[in-house]
Amino acid sequence: MTPDEPHDAVVVGSGAGGAMAAWVLTRAGASVLMLEAGRDYSPDESPMLNMAMDAPLRGVGTPDKRFGYYDATVDGGWDMPGEPYTMAEGSEFMWWRSRMLGGRTNHWARNSFRMGPYDFKPRTRDGLGVDWPVTYDDMAPWYDKTEKLVGVYGSNDGLENHPNSGPGVLQTPPKFRVWETFLKAGGDAINIPVVAARRAILTKQIDERSPCYWASACGRGCSIGAAFQTTTSLIPWAKTTGKLTIATGAMVYEVILDATGKATGVRYIDKATGSHKEAKGRVVVVAASTGETARILLNSKPNGRSEGLANSSGQVGRNLMDTVGSNISAYFPQLEGRPRYNEDGAMGLHAYIPFWDYKRIQSGEVDTPRGYHVEIGGSFGDPGMGVGSGLDGYGSSLRADVKRRYGSRIGFTQRGEMIPNANSYCSIDTETKDKFGIPVLKFNFAWSDNELKQVKHFQTSMKELIDKLGGTLVSEPDEPAKAISKGGEIIHEVGTCRMGSDARDSVTNQFGKTWDVDNLYLTDGSVFASKAHKNPTITIMALAMRSADNIATRLRTGEL
Amino acid sequence: MPISESSDLVMIDRRVTLKWLMGAMAAGQLAACGDGAKGVTWAEMEAIKAKGYGTDPDFNNTVAPWPLTMTQAELVAASSLADIILPAEGDYPAPSKLGVPAFINEWVSAPYPDQHKDRVLIINGLAWLDQESRARSGAIFASADTAAQKALLDEIAYKDRVKPGLEKPAEFFSRFRSITLGAYYTTPEGWTEIGYVGNQPGTGDYPGPTPEAAAHIKAVIEGMGLKYTAP
Ligand SMILES: Cc1cc2nc3c(=O)[nH]c(=O)nc-3n(C[C@H](O)[C@H](O)[C@H](O)COP(=O)(O)OP(=O)(O)OC[C@H]3O[C@@H](n4cnc5c(N)ncnc54)[C@H](O)[C@@H]3O)c2cc1C
Ligand code: SF4
Repeated sequence: MTPDEPHDAVVVGSGAGGAMAAWVLTRAGASVLMLEAGRDYSPDESPMLNMAMDAPLRGVGTPDKRFGYYDATVDGGWDMPGEPYTMAEGSEFMWWRSRMLGGRTNHWARNSFRMGPYDFKPRTRDGLGVDWPVTYDDMAPWYDKTEKLVGVYGSNDGLENHPNSGPGVLQTPPKFRVWETFLKAGGDAINIPVVAARRAILTKQIDERSPCYWASACGRGCSIGAAFQTTTSLIPWAKTTGKLTIATGAMVYEVILDATGKATGVRYIDKATGSHKEAKGRVVVVAASTGETARILLNSKPNGRSEGLANSSGQVGRNLMDTVGSNISAYFPQLEGRPRYNEDGAMGLHAYIPFWDYKRIQSGEVDTPRGYHVEIGGSFGDPGMGVGSGLDGYGSSLRADVKRRYGSRIGFTQRGEMIPNANSYCSIDTETKDKFGIPVLKFNFAWSDNELKQVKHFQTSMKELIDKLGGTLVSEPDEPAKAISKGGEIIHEVGTCRMGSDARDSVTNQFGKTWDVDNLYLTDGSVFASKAHKNPTITIMALAMRSADNIATRLRTGEL
Repeated sequence: MPISESSDLVMIDRRVTLKWLMGAMAAGQLAACGDGAKGVTWAEMEAIKAKGYGTDPDFNNTVAPWPLTMTQAELVAASSLADIILPAEGDYPAPSKLGVPAFINEWVSAPYPDQHKDRVLIINGLAWLDQESRARSGAIFASADTAAQKALLDEIAYKDRVKPGLEKPAEFFSRFRSITLGAYYTTPEGWTEIGYVGNQPGTGDYPGPTPEAAAHIKAVIEGMGLKYTAP
């Protein structure tokens, strides 16, 4: 079909949420038009085995390519020429966009930790934030289906609030490397768990996707299909049904409603020609990413209603959350001069530290209400431009120092839960338009004391672990208010159209269906009711699969 | 006057070298008439306006598109400094044999803000090095004898022993060293020396540590009185 013909469903966005919805719907027999603002992309473009030395500036990040020359992101980053966003005075927010087919799934780190029972009912546990309209038990089968489909490696450790996957769901995780085994020894001694990480990476072949071949950074895109991205999986699979039409370079700016309040489609700018077009469908699914989805709703003004679309609760744009981030790194003399071998592995986490201190939160001994996990990095990697950091002097002693230090530094990265607060939200900046003439987003963002206390807990705990292993800090961490990441910096922004069980204080129901418009669904991170410390994407996909299943049923029964 | 304005030379003939040296002198004078308490200071330089590689570069053509800007004299100084930072040793060549000076040229000529900061340090720093060397021993840095070169570097190369007033040159040295090391150890020769053996696609499970590496960490862990768990 062509984009001009009416489809069963119009899906906006081709990232984690949009592609999952499109795949489920096409598989159920629905015709789908996917509108994607960026260009067409396939990781066949990925320079998988190029080395840093083959790139300009040894591949370091620049304003053109913030995460390095080879990073898969094209036409995106923190700043996009002609497509600004603004910040309220006193607020800082960083918004990463990847305008390309597959969105940010082309270069995400693939860390995939499912949320647990506590995470879906945070308010019930500590009185803060809101509960989700679903329980973990509702979601468990959807996580299983998603993990199996996507391909996630990891182990079932039976830890508190870190649920096991169903039997046969997970792929075998890669072995720990020396420095990970070393950390585990330290962690074991002070009851900080170090267990296999979970990542959306194949270690066994499924369908046409090959298992990881243990080389080449996943952020470049994985042309062999081992690292999950929608451009090697959901999108090509949906295409093979013959039911998917894709329009790239299609910048959607509003949802169209008819006189009865039903969505009939969307309006977009065809970037190649600059012309304004309409796409029609029986159901509209918006998954343009947390920020962009809120922007489209707020910019849609049915009957001139200033609050935007699907916003009778006033919650669209509110409850913006990101992951709490901070870092510590240390040198471990015990790791100096260790025997060399290939530590590239899956080019990311084999092991991590899941949150372990739930009991002391419950008893009140720990004053941070919510947890975090720790992502760790070390390894004998391609030395890169940072190889000389912390070294001194010159001459043959410097040569010796470089060799001695190589592989003896470990970085600890906090990834924590943020509780929604009234000071963190996005709205339309009525003064500023992008190059297409579309009003842009304005961000307000503030952390609360809850997050700062969590940073303190992280710093104290990691220092204890480092100490146990005889390490020395590269530098003393800043106090939490300075050490904490900027809003949006961890690129886990969620929550701007939260789901709930009451239309008065949420934007969608548990299936991502907006309370106000019966055939308008949201299937990206915007629907999150809380931001557990677990990285959001596997949950985005599990929810999108569940919501699309609900749409498919309603299309079949003629309800939509 | 920023040194860049006097660095519009390309060829290394005598006239040009002289012109360049005058530029270097001018920079030195600028330093000398700076605030004595602050020590050596350098003026800002004009940003490079060339085009970058853009937000969607072609990975089949990874050559940096911007023009190179270092003068021959600057390259001579850079080359000599890099080779003192990492002198050739056994099988491992000096940085100048591995294209490090050319990389530094690519780096300081790049039209990006981080590289611009380094450019101000490095271009002024190299001029300062020659100027200072001439003042002390009558020869530019590259032509000075090893003892004179080291005497000069010893004042700026160690973070706890920087000669008061030379904080800026020390900052230059530290950045220059860092870029030199980065450039050097990202080459095949550098990998061999440091022991990087990755970027080798393999089939089957990830093999994990070699028996030797595993035995080593086991001994380390047990030596610390901790429990080893085989991977
Ligand atoms: C470097 C990096 C590492 C990450 N690592 C992890 C990780 O390890 N684990 C994890 O869980 N998450 C990680 N993330 C976050 C993860 O990428 C996102 O959570 C996820 O991609 C969000 O999916 P989405 O569908 O909401 O949005 P996206 O994947 O961003 O997709 C949105 C799509 O919509 C398109 N679009 C936007 N606006 C419009 C419009 N107006 N009209 C039409 N199309 C539009 C975009 O071009 C894009 O293709 C990481 C992100 C980055 C950048
Ligand atoms: S490490 Fe493995 S999964 Fe990641 S890009 Fe390389 S082959 Fe793909």
